[in-house]
Amino acid sequence: MTEITEQNEVSEKFVPKPSLPPPPNTTGAIGWLRYNLFDGFLSSCLTVLSLIAIGFICVNFYEWAFTKAVLEAANRQECRITPTEFGTCWAGVKFWFTRFIYGRYTDTEIWRVNSAAIILILWMIPVWLPRVTAKLNIALSGVLIFPFLAGYMFLGGDRNWFMEIMVSVAVGCFITVIIHSLLCLFTGAGISKWIIQLTGFANRSERLHKFPVIVFAVIIFLLSLFLINDVAFKEMPNNLWGGLFLTLVISGIGIASALPAGILLALGRRSKMTVIRVLCVAFIELFRSVPLITILFMATTMFPLFLPEGFHINKLASAIVAVCLFAAAYMAEVVRGGLQAIPKGQYEAAEAVGLTYWQSMGFIVMPQALKYMIPNIVSNFMGLFKDTTLVSIIGLYDLLGMINAVSQDPSWIGLHHEPLFTAAVIFFIGCFAMSKYSQYLERNLGAGHGR
Amino acid sequence: MSGNTPSSSRGVNAFINDERYRSIFYQVVVFGLFIWAVLSLIENTQINMATRKMAVGFDFLKNTAGFAVAWTPLDYKPSDSYLMVYWVGIINTLILAGISIVLATFLGFIVGILRLSKNWLVAQIASWYVEVLRNTPLLLQIIFWYLGAFANLPRPKQSIEILGFESLVLNNRGLYIPKPQPEDLFWLTAVALVVAVLIAIALNKRATRKQQQTGKYISTLIPTVLIVFGLPLVVFVLTGMPLEWELPALKGFNYRGGGFVLPAMLAVMVALVVYHSAYAAEMVRAGILSVSKGQTEAASSLGLKQSFVMRLVIIPQAMRAIVPPMISLWMNVVKNSSLAIAIGFPDLVSVFMQTSLNQSGHAVEIVALVMAFYMTVSLTISACLNVYNKKIQLTER
Repeated sequence: MTEITEQNEVSEKFVPKPSLPPPPNTTGAIGWLRYNLFDGFLSSCLTVLSLIAIGFICVNFYEWAFTKAVLEAANRQECRITPTEFGTCWAGVKFWFTRFIYGRYTDTEIWRVNSAAIILILWMIPVWLPRVTAKLNIALSGVLIFPFLAGYMFLGGDRNWFMEIMVSVAVGCFITVIIHSLLCLFTGAGISKWIIQLTGFANRSERLHKFPVIVFAVIIFLLSLFLINDVAFKEMPNNLWGGLFLTLVISGIGIASALPAGILLALGRRSKMTVIRVLCVAFIELFRSVPLITILFMATTMFPLFLPEGFHINKLASAIVAVCLFAAAYMAEVVRGGLQAIPKGQYEAAEAVGLTYWQSMGFIVMPQALKYMIPNIVSNFMGLFKDTTLVSIIGLYDLLGMINAVSQDPSWIGLHHEPLFTAAVIFFIGCFAMSKYSQYLERNLGAGHGR
Repeated sequence: MSGNTPSSSRGVNAFINDERYRSIFYQVVVFGLFIWAVLSLIENTQINMATRKMAVGFDFLKNTAGFAVAWTPLDYKPSDSYLMVYWVGIINTLILAGISIVLATFLGFIVGILRLSKNWLVAQIASWYVEVLRNTPLLLQIIFWYLGAFANLPRPKQSIEILGFESLVLNNRGLYIPKPQPEDLFWLTAVALVVAVLIAIALNKRATRKQQQTGKYISTLIPTVLIVFGLPLVVFVLTGMPLEWELPALKGFNYRGGGFVLPAMLAVMVALVVYHSAYAAEMVRAGILSVSKGQTEAASSLGLKQSFVMRLVIIPQAMRAIVPPMISLWMNVVKNSSLAIAIGFPDLVSVFMQTSLNQSGHAVEIVALVMAFYMTVSLTISACLNVYNKKIQLTER
């Protein structure tokens, strides 16, 4: 039997079937195109339609932004490219650009705004440097003390005794932060360690270590008091503030005050004490359920009535207070979300160790909750940055207010689109950077517990 | 430890350290401070109002408003009272927000699904759409749509005829549309529509029950469409088509008759729809992604058809993640519709909080009324949200 089959097999000559065609290319550029853009009839149609749409938008945008651009002109009338048609008047944007950023701030004083910004950046950079210690103190001093320095630099004029002290404290803090960061970067030890070393207190008992540090702080304070003694800036009343500068001032104060207020409100909302909880819930719900513009109108019309006789509140201050109240209510909800993410065991463990309420919140719960909250805080700041444009409706000249002012300037009358586009680009860059940063934080911080 | 402390001071210590008494003490202090703050604010306000000779009370609502409102579906005349202005504002705000909510949700679903498209180019375009819209302020977008598109429309004589209809025209006075004029028996058609919808709902419920009991799937699409459209149509024809259309027509320099919508309203509406659709798209995307891939695979391995996998397994679970944020987005649309004031659409904030307030000077009362409206809306919406959340939790396990 076997022999026969073997013979049969040998006699029938083996003919292989024709090989299958190679599978469609799934790698390389062509494979990528095939898989991502032309995967079936519907997908191909969508791709072609999208390409047409992109092409249409790009051609029109190019024509508007570049082909018709007029870069040099003294007024809107010179921007005509034909007797009936206006070109894209970038000259107007160029002419107004400083105003977009600084409002009506006097040109010769603009350096004050710039240097305050640089001081803030230098103050805050150490927070992002891994080698620097005491980051929390640096950040807190930046948020709590810097505003006095900035306020004086922006406003100028005479200093009363309170501002004199606060400004010199701020200058002292700034100097200390810079020295501290440099020492950390190059030697790896912070400023307090250096002071203790140099004064020879290192081998004394720990209790005495604070004295040389306090002495150093006093010296720095007196030094900066002496430093700023002769410095006097010209007064720049706040109706001259404007543009992106004002937008940043309002949203910056809003976010800086919203965080502590939001934490208190959120803790109050979760408190076991009924009166406190009810008041906090009422505040949060009231300010979250009405639009910001109504709060701003309320601020401009009602705050002057609330104040005792003889007190005055200007429009900017009312707007800032309104923005702070609004931001605090929203921040409270962000903080509440962060607190809810902390497992109950953490609260119970803290209590079991015998920590008081504020200790357990400050050392156990808040540090963990803050980690969850940072992405939301950043997006909250982004929202506030965008919402600050509303102050232009109550007549403040923020970035959008300046944009609207351009089209009312007699020599640039009717110039809308180009300034609006510029403002949109400025806001987009700011918000896009912030949202990308918050996504980065979400990837690196938020999931920390899961891994 | 406390054994050697004298009994009298022990009693005082226990009293001070007892959490209950401390809590009561704190609450009394906070409540006292709150009452003091409120009272002093009221006193200051009274003094200030007295020195400025401002009247207090809601009586002013009966006074004649005396100003015209550019657009309202209500029958409002300048001789009407401030109370009427309040209603006009509320209705305008609700119409603007209502239409925007529907369109924004619809557009958001489309963009959200496009963002998940397997087609790379489409997904990229959708994601840039979302990024650009979310990263620029809404107010800027409203002004942009108004000045960039709707303020540059041609004069009535050169109106744009949409789709070639003579009675559907767009010009710088607004969008003119034919206005339906129901006649005597039209209410029968409306009743028929309600009845038809109820029948359709019952039919669908019955089909679902049948399917759950027997596993047999009954398609209800065709009967539903037939009933919902057919029944009202039959009644409409039988009662002699009691509906006339009032067409807008060019008379002199402007169109007369028909319904019309202000360019400012169109601009605000487009801006609200487009802006919030970007947020809605992100919610839809996140919702769909929140359903794990195992669900799709499990459903397929049970032998469900592809369309059923989507309808019976993925979408119900995704909705659970989509609906709560979507409802708070709707709340935001209502709140953000107040930005219409920037380009002069007469919404509540514009007619009541600006014009009426400037005229009558009753700041406190007007601010309270406006805030009361927005609070009512948002409390209603969040009550609905709570009901929905409860319902979901029940079906969960």
